[in-house]
Amino acid sequence: MQITQPMADNAEHRRENLFVRMVRRLADSRELTLFVLVIALALVMSIVYPNNFPTASNMRAVLLNLAPVGILVCGMMLLMIGGTFDLSVGSTLAFSGVWAAVVAGWWGWPAEVAVLVGILVGALCGLVNGLIVTRIGINALIATLGTLTIYRSLTYVTAGTGVTPITDAFAAYGRAADPLLRIQSPFWAMLVLVLVGGWLVARTRFFRQFYFIGGNPRAAQLSGIRVDRLILIGFVIMGALAGLAGVLGAARLNSAVVNAGVDDQLKVITATVLGGASLKGGEGTILGGILGVLFIALIENAMIINAIGVFWQGLVVGLVLLFAVSLDRFKTSGRA
Amino acid sequence: MAPRLEIKGISKFFPGVRALDDVSMSVEAGEIRALLGENGAGKSTLGKIVAGVYSRNQGSILVDGAEIAELDEKAAGDLGIGIVHQEGSLVPQLSVAENIFAGRQPTQWLGQVDVRAMRDRARMLIAQLGVAIDPALKVSTLSPAQAQIVEIAKALSRDLRILILDEPTAALTLTETEKLFDVVRRLAGNGVSVIYVSHRLAEIFALCHSVTVLKDGRLAGTRKVAETSTDELIRLMVGRDVHFSRAATGRKIGDVVLEAESVDAPPLVRSASITVRAGEIICLAGLIGSGRSEFCEAIFGARRRRGGSIRIGGKAIDPKGPWDGKHAGIGMVPEDRKAAGLFLGMDIVNNVAATVLSRVSSGANFSNRKAEALAKNFVDELRIATPSVRQIVGNLSGGNQQKVLLAKWLAMEPRLLIVDEPTRGVDVGARSEIYRLLRALADKGVALLVVSSDLPEVLALADRIVVMAEGRTVGELPGDGASEEQVLRLATRYTASVAEVRKEPGMAEA
Repeated sequence: MQITQPMADNAEHRRENLFVRMVRRLADSRELTLFVLVIALALVMSIVYPNNFPTASNMRAVLLNLAPVGILVCGMMLLMIGGTFDLSVGSTLAFSGVWAAVVAGWWGWPAEVAVLVGILVGALCGLVNGLIVTRIGINALIATLGTLTIYRSLTYVTAGTGVTPITDAFAAYGRAADPLLRIQSPFWAMLVLVLVGGWLVARTRFFRQFYFIGGNPRAAQLSGIRVDRLILIGFVIMGALAGLAGVLGAARLNSAVVNAGVDDQLKVITATVLGGASLKGGEGTILGGILGVLFIALIENAMIINAIGVFWQGLVVGLVLLFAVSLDRFKTSGRA
Repeated sequence: MAPRLEIKGISKFFPGVRALDDVSMSVEAGEIRALLGENGAGKSTLGKIVAGVYSRNQGSILVDGAEIAELDEKAAGDLGIGIVHQEGSLVPQLSVAENIFAGRQPTQWLGQVDVRAMRDRARMLIAQLGVAIDPALKVSTLSPAQAQIVEIAKALSRDLRILILDEPTAALTLTETEKLFDVVRRLAGNGVSVIYVSHRLAEIFALCHSVTVLKDGRLAGTRKVAETSTDELIRLMVGRDVHFSRAATGRKIGDVVLEAESVDAPPLVRSASITVRAGEIICLAGLIGSGRSEFCEAIFGARRRRGGSIRIGGKAIDPKGPWDGKHAGIGMVPEDRKAAGLFLGMDIVNNVAATVLSRVSSGANFSNRKAEALAKNFVDELRIATPSVRQIVGNLSGGNQQKVLLAKWLAMEPRLLIVDEPTRGVDVGARSEIYRLLRALADKGVALLVVSSDLPEVLALADRIVVMAEGRTVGELPGDGASEEQVLRLATRYTASVAEVRKEPGMAEA
């Protein structure tokens, strides 16, 4: 539907129209909005703090720190496109990391097996979530709120205060002596996942079905799409990604911490929504999700550099989230 | 003495629809008046105007001879006009007493609700109706009939002079219905005028004194129940002027495509059988709730089947989900296009592609180019009015949405296409085009199974008409030469009720 704009006779009106039009253009693509915001923020920081912000070591730190959330956002975006989500990812991450550490550190199994076990434990957690949601029919908020505390509790039961140190062979997965561009493996894993996941979700027939499910689950079902099976697969993918993030995190520190990822679920969902997903489903891209993660990471970094302090971080991230979502009201094409 | 209620020349317009056109009637004190008509005839609208839920566009309303200028829900309540809605207006989590006195609970000091007084008064009101329901119970624990009685008690809690009951027995069993009738008779005996909105003929003969029949928003006639007959009432209800002509059928009827035998899918489908041949249009007629849509869903795999057999092209299939039906070459256009059919927030391309994702892909990749080409084909072929194939479907008109929905299923090239209510909420122009499309499909050799509540539509389209009642296929008529009365008689033989045999275009939207 074309929005027809009345002719403005005075200059003030025209200026406002131009502004509104610019906002509309931006609002039409969340990825573009975020991209502009990220660039603007980086530019401002580079000008104001030329000695602290645009340095290689600061950039490396930012990229490495956003890696776990960046890995999680791929799965969360997929789930949210399909109209559901997983609150238990932070606990799944810790649980998987601890199990990988137990297998490698306590049982002395090879590091490769430990990595695999960690990812499998994550996938299993996701499978349980998916079964509860699709087979028992409990809504995802309640189901994963339940498993959020269950998995966290199981993490404590498994390893008490954690496993430290694990083994050098295992730690090598997360901190090589001389990694590519001197950025450690979690970032590279994230990059590969974002590229491959971005392509899969945007282009392939299989993952395209999630958009239909999120758009209208009943219509998708009646179109012959196996809604429950796909949602289950989505949860398993989410769990496996959380497992991977947990394993890499433990390897990077050579320590499986029991309260790893405690606040990650909300951070991930914030980034996903910021990146263009809607709680109703049917919208979003992996690219948008990762831009959301990047933006939040930059804001956190900016807060640390200009010494305003971490206490203000949440305030800024929250305001940006509300701002981005309210931009939707300016979209040129709306539903009738 | 002036009649209790007199309405003169009432008209009511909804956007694009004239729901009521110059309707007049008058009801005496203590009279039970039935308001009869097909779905969309305007009977519920009239009831809601009298209750002040809707405002009228023209006409006047007199209560006990005094003209009422402004009639809203509060004014109606003060005048002693109560309505029991079709959907029910009780809050299930609250107690019976609280529901009866919603917003008007008796209070003690500091505005505290006087629970004891409230319960006592509720108990008395319910006792007046000749039943006993504990006022402390939560409404969610009541049976549908008890809930209806609580609704009536709620209306009674204010000094009641006119009671409007809108399809009150829809959810009730036979014995519950009888109990409700006793209550209504008792109220009428006390001088309350009752307007009983229904389409169930049997109930009208059992309960009412007189009946006013509406047809297409106009008054078709008022009769004393003692002086009329089922036949006369049916004639009053269905007599009409709009006709869609039958096309000359020179179609070649081919081999049997669908053979469904004694399909059992409780609770709504008990034993239904049907045969559809290639190039044939079969219309499945029957009342709402007769299990037509559910039968189709069972064939398609969208509903669990407990017994019976389904064969497609002679091969037995056992669809466990819509994907199995689709795999067997069945397409199903569902009744509710917004809730179950379309992806309203997505564009035409994606909607059309939803059933044929593998066909619009190269390997694992979804091909936008192929999907757009496919959508463009259908936009041209079905004459979908849209600026581009990338238009969001939610922004299209009802008729064009319906065409997109058809395109979505035509894309998979089904052998058997089930279409549930092909023209609901579609204007007359789009309607005749959809008929043209369906006939063209049959000409191409597709087997068509059309569910329709619109009798003129059934008579215009069908090669054969299969009638369902109470979950069973109860009879079959040749499409040529069948009359609405014949279909209605088959459909009501078991239920003795003339349910919503026809939908007015646009009424679903209104």
